[in-house]
Amino acid sequence: MADFSWDVRSPLDRTLVAGPYGVQGDAGVALTEIRNFDLVQVMARRGKASEMAQTAQARFGVAAPETPKAVGASDATLIWSGPDQFFMLSKGGKHSIEALAPVFAGSASLSDQSHARALINVSGEKARTMLAKLSSIDLHPDVFGVGAAAATSMDHTSVTLWRGTDRNGQVVFNLLVFATFAQSLWHTILDSAAEYGVTIGHSEDLA
Amino acid sequence: MRGDQANRLNNGGLIDRSAPLNFRFDGKTFSGFRGDTLASALVANGVKLVGRSFKYHRPRGILTAGSEEPNALVELRSGARREANTKATTAELYEGLEAASQNRWPSLNFDVMSVNQLFAPIFVAGFYYKTFMWPAKFWEAIYEPAIRRAAGLGRAAQVPDPDHYEKAWAHCDVVIAGSGPAGLAAALAAGRSGARVILCEEDFVLGGRLLADGGTIDGLPAAEWVARTLAELLAMPDVRIMTRTTLFGVYDGGTYGAIERVNDHLPTPPEHQVRQRLWRIVAKRSIVAAGSIERPIVFAGNDTPGVMMASAMRNYINRYAAVPARRIALFTNNEDGWRTAETAIAAGLQVAAVIDARPDVSPAHRSLASKGGFPVLHGSVAGVDGGKAGVRKISVSLTGGARAEVEADGLAVSGGWNPAVGLTSYHRGRPKWRDDIAAFVPDGAPPGMVAAGAANGAFGLGACLREGFEAGAAAARDAGRSGSTGSMPIADDAAFSLTPLWHVAGKGKAFVDQQHDVTASDVELAQREGFESVEHLKRYTTLGMATDQGKTSNVAGLAIMAAVTGKSIPETGTTIYRPPYVPVAIGAFAGHHRDENFHATRLTPSHHWAAEQGAIFVDTGLWKRAQWYPRAGEKDWLESVTREVKAVRSGVGFCDVSTLGKIDVHGRDAGTFLDRVYINAFSSLAVGKARYGLMLREDGIVYDDGTTSRLAEDHYFLTTTTAKAGLVMQHLEFCRQVLFPELDVQLTSVSDQWAQFSIAGPKTRDLLKEIVDPAEDLSNEGFPFMGAREVKLRGGLKARLFRISFSGEMAFEISVPARYGEAMARNLMIAGKPFGVTPYGTEALGVMRIEKGHVAGPELNGTTTAADLGLGKMMSTKKDFIGRVMAGREALVAPDRQVVVGIKPTDKARRLRSGAHIIPKGETPGPDNDQGYVTSVCFSPVVDQWIGLGLVERGRERIGEIVRAHDPLRGEDYDVELCNSVFYDPDGGRQRG
Repeated sequence: MADFSWDVRSPLDRTLVAGPYGVQGDAGVALTEIRNFDLVQVMARRGKASEMAQTAQARFGVAAPETPKAVGASDATLIWSGPDQFFMLSKGGKHSIEALAPVFAGSASLSDQSHARALINVSGEKARTMLAKLSSIDLHPDVFGVGAAAATSMDHTSVTLWRGTDRNGQVVFNLLVFATFAQSLWHTILDSAAEYGVTIGHSEDLA
Repeated sequence: MRGDQANRLNNGGLIDRSAPLNFRFDGKTFSGFRGDTLASALVANGVKLVGRSFKYHRPRGILTAGSEEPNALVELRSGARREANTKATTAELYEGLEAASQNRWPSLNFDVMSVNQLFAPIFVAGFYYKTFMWPAKFWEAIYEPAIRRAAGLGRAAQVPDPDHYEKAWAHCDVVIAGSGPAGLAAALAAGRSGARVILCEEDFVLGGRLLADGGTIDGLPAAEWVARTLAELLAMPDVRIMTRTTLFGVYDGGTYGAIERVNDHLPTPPEHQVRQRLWRIVAKRSIVAAGSIERPIVFAGNDTPGVMMASAMRNYINRYAAVPARRIALFTNNEDGWRTAETAIAAGLQVAAVIDARPDVSPAHRSLASKGGFPVLHGSVAGVDGGKAGVRKISVSLTGGARAEVEADGLAVSGGWNPAVGLTSYHRGRPKWRDDIAAFVPDGAPPGMVAAGAANGAFGLGACLREGFEAGAAAARDAGRSGSTGSMPIADDAAFSLTPLWHVAGKGKAFVDQQHDVTASDVELAQREGFESVEHLKRYTTLGMATDQGKTSNVAGLAIMAAVTGKSIPETGTTIYRPPYVPVAIGAFAGHHRDENFHATRLTPSHHWAAEQGAIFVDTGLWKRAQWYPRAGEKDWLESVTREVKAVRSGVGFCDVSTLGKIDVHGRDAGTFLDRVYINAFSSLAVGKARYGLMLREDGIVYDDGTTSRLAEDHYFLTTTTAKAGLVMQHLEFCRQVLFPELDVQLTSVSDQWAQFSIAGPKTRDLLKEIVDPAEDLSNEGFPFMGAREVKLRGGLKARLFRISFSGEMAFEISVPARYGEAMARNLMIAGKPFGVTPYGTEALGVMRIEKGHVAGPELNGTTTAADLGLGKMMSTKKDFIGRVMAGREALVAPDRQVVVGIKPTDKARRLRSGAHIIPKGETPGPDNDQGYVTSVCFSPVVDQWIGLGLVERGRERIGEIVRAHDPLRGEDYDVELCNSVFYDPDGGRQRG
């Protein structure tokens, strides 16, 4: 009997080259692909939005977002993705669709998106300046504060964008992009960031 | 010509004398300084002749010092970076700059085409409509190429631009166009209020007219005030100052277009940097402080090199310390023009005379004249004596009729000022006429926009500061910012008196539009020939249609038209203003989206594996799909594809079909929902089963097809075609949200979640047994045709298995989460090795579906009904569904419709081609006898000849009939037989076995 190995390859696995890119010196932009996560689309059954919200509150201790926001729970992030729906993002294996299914049974329909997206973390002094080349959204800190989220597009590609908690005094943006578009958008991001100097990396862990 | 900057003043100017720069113009080397434009450096080097005119090839010099320049256009840079029609007046000088004059041959100094001037009578307005009408066929072959060679301006590079461009967004409370006194004051007030401000300045230095005209603001010399203001603005974190940036357009919803010339001032952009960046600025308010443009007076010889706008002359002398002429005459009809005389005297130059068209001159200026020892002549310039070497003598017609002559090597002209009303007029605004300044000023503006300062017709320095400051404060307030604006900068207003004068009648060509060689007599001719409306005048004469868009010529043109028609200028009106305010490179609009980045690219989960196998990829929509996998020794694609088909039909093969759209349909009413969107029923589908579905548009025409599986009572997994994946998702969301909001249905695209492979061929089950957990029953009983369920793979990974077949073979589709897609391809190769597994691409997929008579994109082409496709029986009569009623329309059920049928050439050796028309035997090809066409073709290894599908009138009733395939595109005509569309295994035994 043949031996099969089931290697997991993220959408950027073959493309991402860790290390410096673009202008040399202090990098203005840091790009990190997060590779190990569960992402579940949670959509309220008809007329069950409040039940879904209560379930989320009971299980995660936070209210499900009702406006474009990302809400952090202790081991998951709930990201608004449309009216009466949100993404449940967690470290791989933490809140898989199998684990969530009984929790939301009756109140919401679940759809696994863990393999349907690439997750890219954008930070650094020039993160906002660089993203202005890709996003039509006003990312000024007064407008797009910590936890702000948007279902938007970059380079004609649908993305979910939200601002995470600042890290080392620096703003952190998160991008969920469709897996089959990821390599294409990645190249656009690199082209846009190269003039500021880039540090490229990947991580198994959610930030 | 001297190359030693002999016309540079020893002191003054905003140039850095410690930073000399070498440059070449028409092959000759010159030097200038950092801070120069190409034009100012040419002036400093005594170069007066810089180009040849558009039609007549007349020698031309530099007229202005800004982006309104009609004459001093050059080809900048060389090779692939050569940029035609670049204004020398805005091109920043850099070390090694190369520029060439345009529209001359063999040289600027000796231009053979200047012979055109002798034929001037035939080059009048509309000459190409009149002169080159007969014979008609000569136009394309002879006239047009000849005219294009003789006229026109610079040459395009003809090769791809090696530089990069990009687009970016910016957001603010207030965007300000222009950094003259009004713009700076506006930025100060808005910035101090706490507003987010973007200040766009076209130039590379802030200050606008202050740079040339100075003045005193808040008791400080203008330069010091600008420096202090700039420092204050730079200290504000939310004020962004963008130099080399032109705000060129205003669009809906407070969006503005701006072009930033990021690296045009360098020979090549630094690595990783773009040449230009196109900005879309979203602003709550905008202030147009774009200033005004000094206008010429039209007189004979007004295009002689050395004739220059009076304000431009001050720019060259004061800002660049470059002297355009040693002995200057000034022709003005207003007070402001006199500043040039003052500047000339201050710079130690001679003033030959001031010709003032006004009845009176102020006592101050009279005393200036007597101190300077030059005459003040009341009258106007009637002609200029000179040539390519420049102005020599000016003839003046004095008030009262006498004539005078003035010897000078430069003539400064001021006809007054035109506010830059472009931006305020871009939403179909029409500026209004103000008699006191004899100029058009903005009359309203697009929402959120106001004009301030000279752009609003306020020409005094004090007024500019006041209007700008007030506009800035108001804009910030409107945007909800309430900080203190502090004190307003104060300056005196100079008097402005003007007597309108547009055109001085005289002998010789008097140019209105210098860039397009439109003369005053062309305007008069247009009127005589009935082209009186300004829009007709514009098109007939091409006045204002050049790259400068008539910035110096439009108002003079319509003033002359007003004079000859006896109307007032406001009655004559203006043409419509349209963006962009300055030319913007197409490259900037394309930005990142060129070459391989023209659009986003989607890759399948097994893409990198397929690339390793040497797959040839084809673009299908945004996707790259493996088209076939060539092997060593195969001579062409057909050989590879035929091998792949045979391997599948005799053994086993697999193909990545992840590009199909995949949608999770959840909810209690999911079945009901699908019943309404498909023509056939899905609520009756058992859990664990798949069914082929067909979807119609509202008008009854087929929209899409695909299989849908029921994975649980309240969960269906729907697939769409690759092409319609996004559209079907939109359509279903519309149905869910708008048509059937009462249903409990949730939709999620899972196209990217699953890697899906079709595994086909008689040995499919053998292969699967290797990879699927032995506990799973894959027998015909345990997993029958159209079965669908989750299975465990060896090693524990879960997959979804669907027993569906597109190839007509025994086949399964298997799905795993996408990150396992590449591993799945590798493992299928391992598992199938004993059975000779063959990966196949989209071509083999296509061959097998045509052999099987399955319809696809070419048949689901937006014109066909379910019955046309042979699927009419699928239409349920027991339920309602989208498209049902309209599908019953007379024409859609007509018996003579073109329907899908098989087609094969009678000559087995002949290649069938898509697009060939079907004509009955013995009939003449033509629309009356056209009975349909060939939609899909392939070489069928099974039938061993080219076969195809077609849409043919009553096709299914005509099986066995021989008809003609007529292909005028390829010049072919041959006999084909109409046959059953299922060429292979018509009873379907193979896929069920």
